[in-house]
Amino acid sequence: MDLELTEEQKLIQETARDFANGELEPVAAQLDQGGDRGPLLANLKKLAELGFMGLNVKDAHGGSEAGVVAFSLAMTEIARVCASTAVTVSVNNMVCEVIQAVGTEEQKKAYIPKICSGEYAAGSFGLTETCAGSDPSGMCTQAVKDGNHYVLNGSKIFITSAPYAGVFVVWAVTDKQAPKGKGISCFLVEAGTPGLIIGKEEHKMGQHASATNELIFDNCRIPESAMMGKPNDGFRIAVAELAGGRIGIGSLGLGVGLAAMDYATRYANERVQFGQKVSSFQALQWMIADAYTELEAARLLLMNAACRKEAGKSFAKEASMAKLFATESANRACYTAMQMLGGYGYTRDFPIERYTRDARITSIYEGTSEIQRLIISREILKNLG
Amino acid sequence: MKILVCIKQVPDLESRFKPNASNTWFDEADLAYRMNEYDEYAVEQAVQLREECGDSSDLTVLSIGPDRVVEAIKKALAMGCDRAVHIQDQAVSSRDPWQIASIISAYAREHKFDLIFTGMQSQDRGSAQVGAMLAELLGVSCATTVVGFSCKDNVVTAKRELEGGVKGVMRMKTPALVTCQLGLNIPRYPTLPNIMKAKKKEIIALPVADLLKEESLAKTTSFHPPAKKGGGLLVEGDIADQVDKVLALLKEKTAVLR
Repeated sequence: MDLELTEEQKLIQETARDFANGELEPVAAQLDQGGDRGPLLANLKKLAELGFMGLNVKDAHGGSEAGVVAFSLAMTEIARVCASTAVTVSVNNMVCEVIQAVGTEEQKKAYIPKICSGEYAAGSFGLTETCAGSDPSGMCTQAVKDGNHYVLNGSKIFITSAPYAGVFVVWAVTDKQAPKGKGISCFLVEAGTPGLIIGKEEHKMGQHASATNELIFDNCRIPESAMMGKPNDGFRIAVAELAGGRIGIGSLGLGVGLAAMDYATRYANERVQFGQKVSSFQALQWMIADAYTELEAARLLLMNAACRKEAGKSFAKEASMAKLFATESANRACYTAMQMLGGYGYTRDFPIERYTRDARITSIYEGTSEIQRLIISREILKNLG
Repeated sequence: MKILVCIKQVPDLESRFKPNASNTWFDEADLAYRMNEYDEYAVEQAVQLREECGDSSDLTVLSIGPDRVVEAIKKALAMGCDRAVHIQDQAVSSRDPWQIASIISAYAREHKFDLIFTGMQSQDRGSAQVGAMLAELLGVSCATTVVGFSCKDNVVTAKRELEGGVKGVMRMKTPALVTCQLGLNIPRYPTLPNIMKAKKKEIIALPVADLLKEESLAKTTSFHPPAKKGGGLLVEGDIADQVDKVLALLKEKTAVLR
C-alpha cells in the first residue's frame, strides 16, 4: 500500500495550484459579485490550453491522459480558489468522459477535442427537469422519431454553463410505453440548433460566476446520428457514467473546505483577544482538529474512489461515499471557519462567507447527500443477496 | 545550438524551517520541494531560445541532488527541455558553491554547450556564486542578474539589473553563460499532456563521485534562526528626563545626531 502521489500527479497538483493562485485568485471575489463573465471565460480558455478539460481523456482525443487521481487533485486545487471555475472544469471533464465512454468515433472526434482545446468554453449536461430531480427517470422531455431525425420537445432546469456551452448531452424519453427508466435515450445537441433555447438564469446563493439556466426544446430537430449509445439505454448511461462526476464534486467540496479552514486557522493564529492569540484557546484548537480530521478523511475517501476508477474497478459506492462525506465536511468546515472569524467571517471583507455560500450547493448537486446514502446502502444491501 | 540549463530543487519557502541535528543546514524531513524560482526563468528563457532555433538545437536540463529532484527535472522537461541529466548526490546540501560549480563544469566541459542558463541564485542558500564560478571554470563569457536576453548569430545581448534601478546592456560571443533574474520573462505553466509525455524523455543518471574532484572551500559551521531580540528599552521618568535619556541614547547608539 502506497499513499504517495506520483511525480506526474504532484506536478499536476502544483500546476493547478500555481495557476489558481496566479490567475484565478485575482478575479475570484470579483466574479462572485456577478456581472461580466469575461475573466471566467478567459481563464477557462487558459485551463483548456493547459489540458485541464480532459484530464482522464485519451491523448488521441485531445485529452491529457493523466488519470482520475490527477483529476481529483486538480479539482481540489482549483476549488480552493474559485468554486465557480472548478464546477465548470468538472462538468467539462465529465462531458468529455461520457462521450469517450459511449459515443461513436464520429461523436468523439466531433466534440471531445473542441472541449479539450477550449474551442468550446464548456459542455453541458441536460438531465434534470422541474419534476425530475433526484428521480431523473420521471423526466418528460420527449424525442420523437421523424424520418432520419428526432424532434425534441420539453425543458430542462439547472443546466450548468448553458449560455456558453458548445454541446449539450441531453436525455429524453424515446419510448413512453416502456417501464420507468427503460424508455430514455441520450443525445448530443449542438449549441445554436434551431429550437434549442437557453432560458432564464437562476439567481443562486453561491457559485455565481458559473451560469445555471433553463433549457427549452421547442421542436428541436436533431439528426438520428446525434443519439449517443443505444436507443432507450440513456438512463443506464446516466447512472453508470455520472458516478465519476461525484469524484469531481467531492474534490471540489474538499477544496472549498480546505480554503475556509486554512484562512480561519491563519486568522486565529494572529487574532488577539483576552491578551492572547485566539488559537491558544482550546475551543478553537478543537475546531481546527475536528475540521482538518474530517477534511483529511474526505481526501482519503476521494483518493480511494479515484484510484479504484483509475484501476478499472467498480467505484460507484466509493464515489458516493467520498462525495457525501467530502461535501458535508466542507459545509461543516465553512461554518466552523466562520465561527472562528466571528463577526468578520459574516462580512464580505473576508472570503469565508463566499466559501460558505459556494460550499452549500455541493451536498445538493451531482446527487444530493440523501441520494448518495441511497446508492451506498443499496450497494451494501445488494451484497447480502 | 547546444543549450544547458541548470536547476535546483528547493524547499517551499512557506515551510517551517528548523536546523538539522548537526546544526549545519535545515532539517529536510517533511518539507515540500519545488523548482527554485529563479531557475524557472532560466528554463523559460532556454526553452524560448530552443524554440527559436528549432530542431537544429538541443536543450539539456541538469540538476544535482537525491531522487526527489527528479520531480523538478520533470517539470523542466514538461516545459520543453529535450533531455535531462540527474547528478545523483545524497549530500548535495553539504556542498559549497565551488563544489557545485566544479561538478557541473566536469559534465559541461565534455559536452561543449554554446549557451548555459542558470538562476541568479537559489532561494535557500542564496550565494549567487554557482553561475559565475561555472563560467570561470569553463572559461566562457558571463553575464549575471539578467533581465533581458536575446541571441543572434552567436552573439548574446544581455540586459543586466544594476543597483538603484539602473540597467546595463552587454554583448558577448558564445559560448556564454547567463544567470537569470526574476522578471526576465513569464515562465510558462507546463501543460498536462507535456507533464505526462515528459515521462518518455531521457533522464541520464550520473553518480556524483564520477564528477566531483574538488574539496569544499567554505564550510557551513552553524545554521540557526536569528537570536530573539530583547524586549526593547523602556524610558522612564518625567517628560524632561525622558527627552534627555532619548537624546543621549540617539547620540550614543545611532548616527542621527552626529
